[in-house]
Amino acid sequence: MRMKIKFILLIFLIPLYAREIYFTRNGDVSFFSSTPIYDIKAENNQVTCVFDRDNGEVSFRIPILGFNFPNGLMQEHFNENYMESDLYPNATFKGKVNNWSNIVLTNSYQSINLEGIMTIHGVSKEISEQGKIKFKQDKIAGDANFEIMVADYGIEIPKIVREKIAKVVNVNVQLQLKKK
Amino acid sequence: MNRVILIMLVHLSLIHAQDELLELIIEEKDISIPVQATFKATRIVNAQSIELPRPKTLEFMILHRFGSMKDRFYNLFGMDEAVIRFDLKYGFNDKLSFGVGRSSLDKTYDFFTKVKLLNQTNGQNPIPVSVGIFSKVEIQSIDKDLAMIDRLTFDLQALISRKMNRSLSLQIMPTLIHKNLVEDEDALHDLFSLGIGGRMKLTNRTSINFDTFLPLGHRPNSFIQSWGLGCDIETGGHVFQLMVTNAQGSYESKYVEHATGRFENLNLYLGFNISRVFSL
Repeated sequence: MRMKIKFILLIFLIPLYAREIYFTRNGDVSFFSSTPIYDIKAENNQVTCVFDRDNGEVSFRIPILGFNFPNGLMQEHFNENYMESDLYPNATFKGKVNNWSNIVLTNSYQSINLEGIMTIHGVSKEISEQGKIKFKQDKIAGDANFEIMVADYGIEIPKIVREKIAKVVNVNVQLQLKKK
Repeated sequence: MNRVILIMLVHLSLIHAQDELLELIIEEKDISIPVQATFKATRIVNAQSIELPRPKTLEFMILHRFGSMKDRFYNLFGMDEAVIRFDLKYGFNDKLSFGVGRSSLDKTYDFFTKVKLLNQTNGQNPIPVSVGIFSKVEIQSIDKDLAMIDRLTFDLQALISRKMNRSLSLQIMPTLIHKNLVEDEDALHDLFSLGIGGRMKLTNRTSINFDTFLPLGHRPNSFIQSWGLGCDIETGGHVFQLMVTNAQGSYESKYVEHATGRFENLNLYLGFNISRVFSL
């Protein structure tokens, strides 16, 4: 009986300790939006990402204050007026790679589909986006480009600046994950 | 018994499987988060705020005060007259700025600098307040016969501010104004006062602002304590500040020491500040 318990214990515990976790604390996320009047762009290289190689689960944390704008006033307005970073300090994504069990990582990029919940400005939304992934020199590299509708996340653009601020923002994600 | 243990184990492993992935690697590091946007503009109403022009930006500001409202409709609540000051200031970095200004009141030129010594931070090892120094030289040129040395007035202020929460910010300003030339013999050359100011945000882009200067030490009987009550409206690269105040001059020696208006007869001034920012 005692053996059996130990056996069960092993079955349940082994996967936990053998989880193949890849992560980064300085991933790059940048965004770009364009109107005839203004181009707005910002970069953030303090993005945390964790990826579970066993089951394809992935988790992002993007500190809003980490976005750097070329224009200090824009950065202040971004934090104060739009993202309200004192109330919502992080954007997050929690999801998984579709069909992960059928994907074999190689050292050249292959397309994947990510599905999960994106939370920005305190508003959560289910998304499904394309990305690329490869495995090279013990690191997993990820790359994704997608669009975000500002209105989807309850971010209000007042009438007076509507000409200057785009409703759709292009987001670029670049990651180098190393093994934990 | 064994069944119970088995169930417990299953539960235990399920709980583990649901562990947030992020928690596996996040360590609570010493993060201190600098507080930004204590005020929207470089002025509260009349008084200097802790804010500097942003690094590598040029800020042009027009400070416009109408005439006294005491004649009501006869001169449209003072709008037939105006005292204007405009200035141009540059932020070298987030700690140092320099500017020049000119006011139509006493045809006064001024040169000023604002230095931020300490920035309020939240998080690990918080710093409770932001501290800055503001200093200015005023050169009046309305009196053609004065020697240069007699035209000068010096202002020195410490700006101590705290953003209490996302809408309320408060500031105190110990102030010294030194006049090289005074009106009569027993008037003081050095005048001390304590400024108090604050703002309350109404929405993300508008706020109600107030400031006043309490005199410290002797003042003549004609002295009136100055105050200003205004609201900020922010629109992209501009900040509009609309106000009612009892001081018509918008440079330090005038609005701190030479307020002229009283509530009686509506002897107050309407005015506005506009700032426009240029990135260089």
